[in-house]
Amino acid sequence: MSDDAQLQDLVGRGYQHGFVTDIESESLPPGLDEDGVGGIYNFVTKRGECRGRNSRISWTQVETGSAITWKYPSCVLRGENSVGEFYSVALANHCQQADTGTKMIHIGPNTRSTIVSKGISAGRGQNTYRGLVKILPSAQGARNFTQCDSLLMGGRCGAHTFPYVEVRNPSATVEHEASTSRISEDQLFYCLQRGIPEEDAVNMIVNGFCKSVFKELPMEFAVEAQNLLAVSLEGAVG
Amino acid sequence: MLEIKDLHASVGGRKVLDGISLSVPAGEVHAIMGPNGSGKSTLSYVLAGRPGYEVTGGSVLFRGQDLLALAPEERAQAGLFLGFQYPVEIPGVNNVYLLKAALNAARKHRGLPEVDAFEFLQLVRAKMKLMQMDEAFLSRGVNEGFSGGEKKRNEILQMLVLEPALALLDETDSGLDIDALKVVAQGVNTLRAPDRSIVLVTHYQRLLDHIRPDRVHVLARGRILRSGGPELALELEARGYDWLLAEAAA
Repeated sequence: MSDDAQLQDLVGRGYQHGFVTDIESESLPPGLDEDGVGGIYNFVTKRGECRGRNSRISWTQVETGSAITWKYPSCVLRGENSVGEFYSVALANHCQQADTGTKMIHIGPNTRSTIVSKGISAGRGQNTYRGLVKILPSAQGARNFTQCDSLLMGGRCGAHTFPYVEVRNPSATVEHEASTSRISEDQLFYCLQRGIPEEDAVNMIVNGFCKSVFKELPMEFAVEAQNLLAVSLEGAVG
Repeated sequence: MLEIKDLHASVGGRKVLDGISLSVPAGEVHAIMGPNGSGKSTLSYVLAGRPGYEVTGGSVLFRGQDLLALAPEERAQAGLFLGFQYPVEIPGVNNVYLLKAALNAARKHRGLPEVDAFEFLQLVRAKMKLMQMDEAFLSRGVNEGFSGGEKKRNEILQMLVLEPALALLDETDSGLDIDALKVVAQGVNTLRAPDRSIVLVTHYQRLLDHIRPDRVHVLARGRILRSGGPELALELEARGYDWLLAEAAA
């Protein structure tokens, strides 16, 4: 990318429109059965390079529909002051496996990157964040902030986090925050006591968990993403 | 309104309620007082249907129906409101969003259409003014980063919007300064009506200075030890609980 260029990419794999509306009898991902046989495999390589000064690449993804996802949209930050961003919501329900993350490769001076990853695991789903933040010797004053949160529902799912950090320049600042939590009984009971049915309550809490990613999405897509999440969570409670 | 008969309950296998009988007629305000660990909060949770609170005997009638047969959300929709002692934070979920979902769930239960967004905001703003709450509350996450006092005000705000038939307020006065206590009491008082009952669970007389109860009950060791008029609360304030416990043991 050249000087001052901006790229915003929305990537997502989930149910299509028609599927969302007619989902009552079929809440499994397309082609995937209850034991994890079949389904779509989503193996993606995406990489963007910020060559110009002040250029910016922002990846935003919502992953809900594939049986197996391996996906790591990445940024090479070469231009001075260039910015890389990665915002991700990944949900693994039933027997789905989502292994996703990003690489932020800082080459130019004062390059900055932000990673926000929200992983939700339900059923027998396995969710993995796998990411690399690499600061090269030339990246004077580079900064990274990573936030990586996992939410677990039920007792048979898993959340895994593999953050790799390689810093070769002493002036760099790299921050990593991570959390793993369950949907709390207290939160759920609070919503129930206000008369909100359990499935709606779970959706509400999960959407709240994902808010810092959803607010990066354009309105239409944010609404779509919320619906997608609601559908993908069906049957995850109780 | 509320008819509790010989209610026994345990939490994690430990017996906490040991035969409570209590009748709260419509239009009345009752206060339940008692020492720490007497089962006051447990009673609130059992009535609201919190998972983990196991009813081992007795019955509860709420507006003529078997309360214990209902799921927690059905109890709420039927008009039972619990003001929590420690309201939980739900990050990322707007206050106004939760409130609207709650109101619509109750309306749906009564066969009413969903509330119009504009009317809803007007309603909430009017109630917030009463509770002296800033409008910024609406867009914040549910109780997210609220002070103790703000959380309690938020509980009362929710109660005012939902207009329940029976409000159980579990130590709503704890952690409030004098001014906040007055605002909360005022909120509760505006809800007093012939077709509505309020049960206040509290440690202190000072809340009852602002909300005058019709009846006061003393709960200790999982039972109601004594019931009386508002003067009983004053006596407790002056003498403590020990004399009652001693009398009961004798």
